[in-house]
Amino acid sequence: MSEAKDITKLTLRDVPNKDYFLWGHGACPGCGVAIAVKNIMRILGPDTIVYVPASCLVVFAAQYPTSAFDVPYFFTAFENTGAVATGIKAAMRRKGKKAAVVGFAGDGGTFDIGLQALSGAADRNEDILYVCLDNEAYMNTGIQMSGATPFGAWTTTSPVGKVIKGKRRFKKDVDHIMAAHEPPYMATLSIAHFNDFVRKVERAKSIEGFRFLHVLTPCVPGWRSESSRTMEIAKLAVETGMWTLFEAVKGESSLTYKPSTMLPVTDYLKLQGRFAHMTVDDVNALQRWLCMKWWVHYKDQVEAPPCKLYETERPVAHDGDPLHGV
Amino acid sequence: MYEIRFHGRGGQGAVMAAQTLAEAAVLQGFHAQAFPYFGAERRGAPVKAFTRIDEKRISLKSQIYKPDMLVILDGGLPDIEPIADGLRPEGKAVVNTTLRPEEYDLGISVDCVTVDATTIAYEKLKAPIVNTAILGAIAKADDIVSLDHVLQAIKDKFGEKLGERAGVLNAEAAKTAYDTCIEGRCKGERPLVQKATWLPPWEEIPPGTALPVANMGEVVVGPGSSWQNLTGTWRIQSPMYKKDKCVRCLRCWWSCPEGTIKRQEDDYMRWDYRYCKGCGVCANICPASAIEMKKGAREW
Repeated sequence: MSEAKDITKLTLRDVPNKDYFLWGHGACPGCGVAIAVKNIMRILGPDTIVYVPASCLVVFAAQYPTSAFDVPYFFTAFENTGAVATGIKAAMRRKGKKAAVVGFAGDGGTFDIGLQALSGAADRNEDILYVCLDNEAYMNTGIQMSGATPFGAWTTTSPVGKVIKGKRRFKKDVDHIMAAHEPPYMATLSIAHFNDFVRKVERAKSIEGFRFLHVLTPCVPGWRSESSRTMEIAKLAVETGMWTLFEAVKGESSLTYKPSTMLPVTDYLKLQGRFAHMTVDDVNALQRWLCMKWWVHYKDQVEAPPCKLYETERPVAHDGDPLHGV
Repeated sequence: MYEIRFHGRGGQGAVMAAQTLAEAAVLQGFHAQAFPYFGAERRGAPVKAFTRIDEKRISLKSQIYKPDMLVILDGGLPDIEPIADGLRPEGKAVVNTTLRPEEYDLGISVDCVTVDATTIAYEKLKAPIVNTAILGAIAKADDIVSLDHVLQAIKDKFGEKLGERAGVLNAEAAKTAYDTCIEGRCKGERPLVQKATWLPPWEEIPPGTALPVANMGEVVVGPGSSWQNLTGTWRIQSPMYKKDKCVRCLRCWWSCPEGTIKRQEDDYMRWDYRYCKGCGVCANICPASAIEMKKGAREW
């Protein structure tokens, strides 16, 4: 790629045609994580050191003694992506080597278990790239609920019962937690909006300091979807407002893409078996929440919420623990 | 003790088949256990499941290394792995294939029952889930469990999980397989070669955690060594590329999870079928219908 090229004008065509995340890994057919990692590695190039905490990626990409990463690769425990990436960068600095350090954590390793190490690294403004591959549950251990799981979704720990069907809380907004740290760069990405994806990864690569990228990666077995629809689902997530694309430089956020119209959330839900049980009330609750989110997010461009909101929001039920709130 | 080892692919229902067979044995008055083997690999990858049947309580908990019966849910598996390894010479094999037993090369010549379970499953269940059809053939291959108990176990287990109608349809598939399967003796010409691995004792592992690219006998280890794992064998459908329709948008190249779609100098594509898992993402994203998914593991 020519160095002179303006990052905001990059497209798919500018992605280097050399892979550093190689074939022969053991991901499920149609894996969203593999698509995201493969393309991020193409853009980051050979001078990269990869750290992966416990996640699907460590299991399918690199089992001792083989590895799908054609660059140095490291793996330790679940909760310390921010800390270990910091340490690798410090060692490289000490040795006088120039190498980008990237940590690929899952949503469990970011939203729940790894949040303290992530927050610490962002606070210290370490020169690392942190990528959260968000498949909205702990898929590696067999689909358990995480903070990233959306409202109404089935997982093995938010099962579908007679009274309570699926997860009862909305997705944790980790992007705003990260934006509050005011890192030099952070962005949300979708594998289906590739030009946007390329620009954001290139931008993250060009900046020094702590960078946070949050990618939505559909999971075929966990979302109960068809393997061929991975990209379609990722696209619909953006078009229905389930996923919003923005970037923030030192806490100043700006939109990078706005869908022309908001599609009904059912377009997104009907392709996934994890939402198959959802009642009309639950779909409406989710749609209302999305409309609110849409309005907040695209405030400058939208005059009113795109669908009718109830004046007093119905409180969202708790998880069914009878002692909850006592 | 009677030991049965199931070989299938993730998603075919090998685990359910092992469990259902154990339940049928319990209905018949035996003690039984069933459990899967957990590998790290995912959907479409070769998987194993085990069933043990005995007249008295079973305290053995290990995997089955010398089975009395081998059940193969995908007839192509011997091409990938030496799955017949350990099968007793007096043992039996049940194979899902369109071939007759005498045409089928397992690697060990044993009494064999072949059944076209995939066709039966498509007819009865409208899906390539072959586990119940294969159970009917197991009842034919050995009288350790009777057909009636197998059918009852299927109705109970599938009925409970998927509804009564599914239980009946699955039992029908098993009955059809029992009636149409072919008994005979399979060939043993194929050499059973274990895949080379490098798993040294801990004292010989290089100090530290850094492992450079190195050639360890027949195996390459270290960064980028995953290419030795030919994941193309998982494929049940294959993308066909029509170059004349291609608009060179690069979307398939971007969205292939495996990196099997190679971008050429002129931005046309070339497929590396050795690694293609047949997910169909490329065919779905192509704006010009230049990629079409065809049934079976094929190459162009």
